[in-house]
Amino acid sequence: MAFCIGELSHIPAGKALITEINGTSIGIFFEDGEVYAVRNVCPHKLAPICEGAVCGTMLPSKPSQFEFGLEGKVLRCPWHGWEFSLETGEALFGISNRKVKTYPVEVKDGMIYVEMG
Amino acid sequence: MEANKVNKIIDADVHPWINGDIKGLLPYLSKSMQKVFDGRLTLPDHPLRPPLEKSTSIRLDATPPGGGAGGSDPIYMREVLLNRYNIEHAILTSVQAGKIVVYPNPIEATALARAFNDYFLNEWLTLDSRYKLAMCIAVHDPLKAAEEIRRIGHERGVVAVFMPLFNILMGNSYYYPIYEAAEELGLPILIHPTGTEGGFSTSVSMAGGVPSSYIERHTDFPQIAYGNLVSMVFEGVFVRFPKLKVLAAEFGYSWVPSVMWRMDQNWRNFRKEVPWLEKEPSKYLLDHVRFTSQPVEEPEKGKYLMQIFEMMHAEKTLIFSTDYPHWDNDFPDNTFTTLPEPVKQRIFYDNAAELFNLNKLEITR
Repeated sequence: MAFCIGELSHIPAGKALITEINGTSIGIFFEDGEVYAVRNVCPHKLAPICEGAVCGTMLPSKPSQFEFGLEGKVLRCPWHGWEFSLETGEALFGISNRKVKTYPVEVKDGMIYVEMG
Repeated sequence: MEANKVNKIIDADVHPWINGDIKGLLPYLSKSMQKVFDGRLTLPDHPLRPPLEKSTSIRLDATPPGGGAGGSDPIYMREVLLNRYNIEHAILTSVQAGKIVVYPNPIEATALARAFNDYFLNEWLTLDSRYKLAMCIAVHDPLKAAEEIRRIGHERGVVAVFMPLFNILMGNSYYYPIYEAAEELGLPILIHPTGTEGGFSTSVSMAGGVPSSYIERHTDFPQIAYGNLVSMVFEGVFVRFPKLKVLAAEFGYSWVPSVMWRMDQNWRNFRKEVPWLEKEPSKYLLDHVRFTSQPVEEPEKGKYLMQIFEMMHAEKTLIFSTDYPHWDNDFPDNTFTTLPEPVKQRIFYDNAAELFNLNKLEITR
């Protein structure tokens, strides 16, 4: 079912709005016009991942070259630095098969609705 | 004890010696270079010597009947090593040549490496085709080293490039001309302690400081391979040179599982520092790096060694070596006697044959 967790305008810039739904801590992110809902638990060591940085990262490249990309699409855990796709929850570029849990989210009339089973 | 049953053997770490150091090499140096070395014909020794008779790492009982240092007579070595243990190929790596890293002068070091190579090609490989050479290079001038690889790397019996290390980690682009040439010739890079580590300003430093005894520096050898292999993997050497192989000889191997785990763990954390890696770091190690067996490690319980073999995929990564004629040499008749036959075959022969292209060698060269 969909849970209304507040107004879109309440999400602070560059940070997650961290809230609880039925005892589960989740973070809501608003980046470049997109809203994401992520469970606030890193699958690696259970860190509060939504307190980590939303950032970009280095894309696969040739040796000795750096190519920065995915700006605003990466959630980096504040503990060990594991990087996940904000969109899919998948660990980036094959570092792990483990995913961070994401939830469908919708904005209607400026209000945020998160779908949780 | 029942003799170990091994059908075919390749010995990946054998040490020939040239009596008189540079004096013995004079016929292989140009007249001008002979003059350059005039009055200084002895290669320097590390001050921390083995606490053995005559302070040498060479076994006293390996002295040839005609005299000279153990390992200096190819006919005697043929008898006591190749024939006695039925060794099909013996890879000659001159640690004596490895001492060139103490020379700060690239012209001198390059000339010595070339002379060592010509000496062994002429005096050993022509004598018995079972002798194979890990040709030596002077890393002082990587472009000249690459030239040397291209000069003799195609010669029959040259099967590896022995790279005595400077205090520059192997992932550094400084060495890339050498890797390019080795890959081009299909020769693996062989690293081995040179006995100079921690003793000279140009040679490899030991981690944490300067050891104060032979027992310390000998125990610490694995550090060198550990740091250099981590450097190669993370700097992307095996992405840049996808056919390059490395043999870490006499650096031990019980640490290999640990380094693989640490590399992978840190890659999951900090992949963005090395975005050029296309797979887990440990996979590069397993695909590109091999380790020699001597000195066989002696854990508290024998079964621990088998567990380490499983962790390091020894059936793929470990290669038998004697280290003849050094004091801590191992021989086939009492080494890995309880291993299952298929694994034994891999360690005593197949892994080395693949690394050194030995079967192909017989057909094409």
